[in-house]
Amino acid sequence: MSVTDKNTGVDLKRRKILTGATGVVGAAGATFLAVPFVSSWQPSEKAKAAGAPVDIDLQALQPGQMLTVSWRGKPVWVVRRTPEMLANLASLDGKLRDPASQESIQPGYCQNATRAVNPEYLVVVGICTHLGCAPLYRPAIGSPDVGADWQGGFFCPCHGSRFDLAGRVFQSVPAPTNLEIPPHRFINDHLVRIGEDPQQEGVA
Amino acid sequence: MKKIIWILSFSATLLAMPFTTQAAGGPGIELEPAHNNLRDADSLQRGAVLFSNYCMACHSAKYIRYNRIARDIGWSDEQVIQQMAYGLNKVVDEVQTRMLPGVAMDVLGTEPPDLSLMARLKGTDYIYTFLRAYHQDENGNWDNTVLKGTSMPNVLEGIQRHASAEDYAQAARDIANFLEYVGEPAKMDRMDLGWKVIAFLLVLLLLTYVLKKEYWRDIKH
Amino acid sequence: MSYQDQPQTKRASLLSWLDRRYPIVSTWNEHVGEYYAPKNFNFWYFFGSLALLVLVNQFITGIWLTMSYKPSAAEAFNSIEYIMRDVEWGWLIRYMHSTGASAFFIVIYLHMMRGLLYGSYKEPRELVWILGMFLFLVLMAEAFMGYLLPWGQMSYWGAQVIISLFGAIPVIGPDLALWVRGDFVISDATLNRFFALHVIALPLVLIILVFMHIVALHKVGSNNPDGVEIKKYKNEAGLPIDGIPFHPYYSVKDSFGAVFFMIPFALIVFYWPEGGGFFLEPPNFEPANPLKTPEHIAPVWYFTPYYAILRAVPDKFLGVVAMGAAIAVLFAMPWLDRCKVKSIRYRGTSFKLLLTMFVVSFVVLGYLGTQPATPELTKLAQIFTVLYFAFFLVLPFTSVHEQTKPVPERVH
Repeated sequence: MSVTDKNTGVDLKRRKILTGATGVVGAAGATFLAVPFVSSWQPSEKAKAAGAPVDIDLQALQPGQMLTVSWRGKPVWVVRRTPEMLANLASLDGKLRDPASQESIQPGYCQNATRAVNPEYLVVVGICTHLGCAPLYRPAIGSPDVGADWQGGFFCPCHGSRFDLAGRVFQSVPAPTNLEIPPHRFINDHLVRIGEDPQQEGVA
Repeated sequence: MKKIIWILSFSATLLAMPFTTQAAGGPGIELEPAHNNLRDADSLQRGAVLFSNYCMACHSAKYIRYNRIARDIGWSDEQVIQQMAYGLNKVVDEVQTRMLPGVAMDVLGTEPPDLSLMARLKGTDYIYTFLRAYHQDENGNWDNTVLKGTSMPNVLEGIQRHASAEDYAQAARDIANFLEYVGEPAKMDRMDLGWKVIAFLLVLLLLTYVLKKEYWRDIKH
Repeated sequence: MSYQDQPQTKRASLLSWLDRRYPIVSTWNEHVGEYYAPKNFNFWYFFGSLALLVLVNQFITGIWLTMSYKPSAAEAFNSIEYIMRDVEWGWLIRYMHSTGASAFFIVIYLHMMRGLLYGSYKEPRELVWILGMFLFLVLMAEAFMGYLLPWGQMSYWGAQVIISLFGAIPVIGPDLALWVRGDFVISDATLNRFFALHVIALPLVLIILVFMHIVALHKVGSNNPDGVEIKKYKNEAGLPIDGIPFHPYYSVKDSFGAVFFMIPFALIVFYWPEGGGFFLEPPNFEPANPLKTPEHIAPVWYFTPYYAILRAVPDKFLGVVAMGAAIAVLFAMPWLDRCKVKSIRYRGTSFKLLLTMFVVSFVVLGYLGTQPATPELTKLAQIFTVLYFAFFLVLPFTSVHEQTKPVPERVH
């Protein structure tokens, strides 16, 4: 049944349907058109290339030392932990906010006691989870600028957040979660690739 | 309806105006048509390998990356590095020349141009003709009929001598084809998308036409 | 009041709340809802709204291009290729902008042609025409400066040649050219200032002029293919009998026109972005090289008629004067054409012949401007330059005594 205006003889219903249909199709077109403009803000191929995996040679890294590389513009630290450092980790659990890393960011294969693929090497993003400062590496026990009971770890000078040598955050500091662990895999014993997950079981 | 026909013919006239591509070969040089086909992935892959073997010793294609080539012409990341870079580059690297900086000036007396945009600058016919336009005079000196006195040696000489005429032509065609791809990697994407956009616009055109007719019933002429 | 009336009332009250503080309703009514346009517009009347559409396209794609473009001599060319290859959909955004530039001039030239055909420059619309001419001038400056930004060979040498024109001005010329470039050649400094003008200053001027152009038009009302004033015959309500509200009648019609226009536009963007070497010139795929001029320099097609006039005059300074005059003389159209009849439909043979001659010489000069300047072609360019100017010189005399046909009282 069409609705016809008595005065003009215009089929108002047809007009309404046509206007609606044109509007809907036009709006769909505008949405399609918006896609290129929105997606052009995604990281470009250049950014992706710059963010490609980074290989780090660990041969020169001595026990207890740390080295820093840039991956996707962020500092990534690799700490070669000594057996004593590793042994100490478990004793700190009671003082930590998230000892089992349940609320922190790390790949599944690093959600373990040492937060590592290979316990000897900690690979961690060097950005404080509080407000993005770069924490300092303070491996020595009782470092003077941190405190006498310090067991070694990372200390953020901006707001005093503290992390242990597995990047786990202590209680009663501003940082909410443990330091982020990036995806990484060992190509061989001395070469680690940041930005790529370990290959599936069976390859190795 | 008469109006529509009028408008259509008017637009057709506009499009048919004497727009001709400027001949890139300069005066008096007949370019052979390359007859290359961007959709021919085998040709592009052969072209990429030829480009790596015969061009990259001196030339770069610095505006394209290996992983883009792999994705667009049907190779894996491993394959492109193996085929084009002897396993020496990362897939995210731009395609650089293997010549060390400064060597070209010493050896050739000129800097070989980057080839990323050569197909857009000169056209594929030019590349195809140029590659095959080398000839030797009685004293054994090489020259090129398209670009007289060029510093570029006849890199395809081996193919020219030892392969069949068809294979030689195909090698030049494959290189031209690959360079056309490198000139505008999005070219196939845009051609695949274009007709869909136009089909959509035709639907919208029909709707707006009917809508206009509907409203304009009110107007008495 | 029924339940269904509720939202309507709420909307109405929100509208009235707003309208008491900002003249939404009255502005809408004055310029759209109750702007009465003649009912007999033909297809020539699409080009005004199309120009607005292209302007919006240029603004949006242009803003997006600045997000990835780098205005420096060292990086400009690379950043264009970065947009074409590395930025997601960058190629589409750039082609929409480059095609839009040419489309802008196609639309504007046809829009101006409409004005000439139907006498839209005549009393009382002189200011509409003059504001439009200023828009045309600014658009040419905008296009010229935008063309330098890709920093290709054609960008560079095109700008070099045009800026050298300033050098032809007696006494101050050389210093003026130096000042415009900010260097002894086109350089990084020139690129930077052209970028600023192209993306900020001139677009602002364009917006203001478009606004004034429309305000002036709506003050005097639109002309039409019959060239008669619809305001002469009004009904009891005081509305022109031969006028119809812009909305919905011309909004639906212009929507149709817009979609119609988008089809060839999309065809070019997706299948012919170089436009046969006229929309994107091949030498521009080579980075600017201040030491090597391309074999053949031609400006982009929309400047070629004026460029042909410039080359036709065998004197540097007079060539520049002739080129400037070719554009400037258009400003005077409302006074050069002294015929009282507006539309070509009712004008005499003399005007029809003169206008045809003008259009032909414009097109021929446009073609000659793309070609190398051989002696024969230069001679041809001189002939058509004379014909181009003859239009403006003869018109004031013939238009007074023109044998016109009777103009109808009302539109057909």
